[in-house]
Amino acid sequence: MTRQNAPVAERRPRRVSMEQVRERLGEPDAMIKSKIQDHIGEHTRRFIAHSPFLTMATADASGRADCSPRGDYPGFVKVLDEHLLAIPDRPGNRIADSFRNLAENDGIGLLFFVPGSRETLRVNGRAYATDEPDVLARMQTEARTPELAIAVDVEEVYFHCGRALIRSRLWDPAGQALAGELPTLGEMAVAQFGLDVDPRLLEARLEEGYRKLY
Amino acid sequence: MQLTILDRIDRPAEDVVALILRGAHGPLAPWEPGAHVDLALPNWLTRQYSLCGDPRDRERYRIAVRHERLSRGGSDYVHRYLREGRTLEVSLPRNTFRLVPAPSYLFLAGGIGITAIVPMLRAAAGAGVPCSLVYAGRTYASMPFAGELRAAYGDRVTIVATGHDGRPDLAALAAGLAPETVVYCCGPASLLADCEAVFPAERLHVERFRPQPRTFGPDTAFDVACARSGRTVPVPADESLLDALNHAGLPVPAGCREGVCGSCEVTVLEGEPEHRDDVGAAPGRMYACVSRSRSPRLVLDL
Repeated sequence: MTRQNAPVAERRPRRVSMEQVRERLGEPDAMIKSKIQDHIGEHTRRFIAHSPFLTMATADASGRADCSPRGDYPGFVKVLDEHLLAIPDRPGNRIADSFRNLAENDGIGLLFFVPGSRETLRVNGRAYATDEPDVLARMQTEARTPELAIAVDVEEVYFHCGRALIRSRLWDPAGQALAGELPTLGEMAVAQFGLDVDPRLLEARLEEGYRKLY
Repeated sequence: MQLTILDRIDRPAEDVVALILRGAHGPLAPWEPGAHVDLALPNWLTRQYSLCGDPRDRERYRIAVRHERLSRGGSDYVHRYLREGRTLEVSLPRNTFRLVPAPSYLFLAGGIGITAIVPMLRAAAGAGVPCSLVYAGRTYASMPFAGELRAAYGDRVTIVATGHDGRPDLAALAAGLAPETVVYCCGPASLLADCEAVFPAERLHVERFRPQPRTFGPDTAFDVACARSGRTVPVPADESLLDALNHAGLPVPAGCREGVCGSCEVTVLEGEPEHRDDVGAAPGRMYACVSRSRSPRLVLDL
């Protein structure tokens, strides 16, 4: 890291306690607390049926956390009953972070997105890996059935207000110009691994890999 | 594609909805009995459904959908989330189950397979051709259109509720079959297999919703030369012809991806395809989703 990119402050940002946080924010509305449900209702079910994308947070036994994206056609997450969801495991990088975490610590936090909707849906619960044939059969896509799925016992369900998505202009097509300001994946890989190849060559290989999604 | 408006959702039986789709810009494309369409759902999935309305009504199509227990997202969406008034895209009708002219017909339907048969029965009866229908389902309440068919065609229609009456006696039907009668059957795999066992193959026409379980030789790699684009695409052993073409940037439309709907038909100019579909490819045609090649190279009109 160059000097130019170092934080302006020489010391770490100071820490505040939860009491101080509460003091600054004030108490939440009683209504906000009461909106948390313990099951999938009619409206949340419809939201999940139209969601093609979610983020999944898990952590290992020591609390080391990570968050990964999951996406497919809308409704790829199956509502098995009002307390049980199943998320297909599609081919990815085979690192299996989420599975390894869940084997040690079954806590899971999901955030569902529906393109165009400012509100997001939060679902928290306990999860485990499954290969139940009737569950996997419902996830068959393009004639391929996943090998595994994640079953989620639902504990908390609630809609998250739209402010973050409004402020971020997430669904504004004009915002997509931002991606043009980023290095390409090929450029990043060449820099990170010190490769002596044309980034565009790597790019073409990656694009080819992206065509095969299932 | 044709734009339609979902005018009405009816419930003609337990776990079955019938959708009335009206053309958004006037008359819809004509069709003949046995035809099906692709229905593009709001959740990006496309499913095939037989047209079960009246071909003379150019304003609207009718389809009927059973809620599958292990739905992969199609019938579940139709049953739980579709709402009246929504616009839906529907393909042009495709027919892989044509009603060939015959002196008389025996129609056999199992469950939701009745949808393909309803317009056939209407056409045959309307033309004064002798015909009869044996319609089997688990219970009477689970069988769509049973009442309206009995009302319209009377004794020509036999309803068999298998939970109560047992399975239809196909052997007796076959034994009593007049030599000129042509048999049409649409329904679950078990009914089709029973029909294939008792009726002469040359007079039996079947349509499947799911492929019949069969075993094939090992999948081998082959090359596909695309005559119009001048490109040659290798098809590895672990990839379908359809996927290989799509991955190579030569898009071929796909529907069921199981060799039953016929939407991925391609024209073969040279080479010997290994047909694995359940549609029955015409000479010079093949279905790219499941079929492969016996020769090391195929030439396609792509």
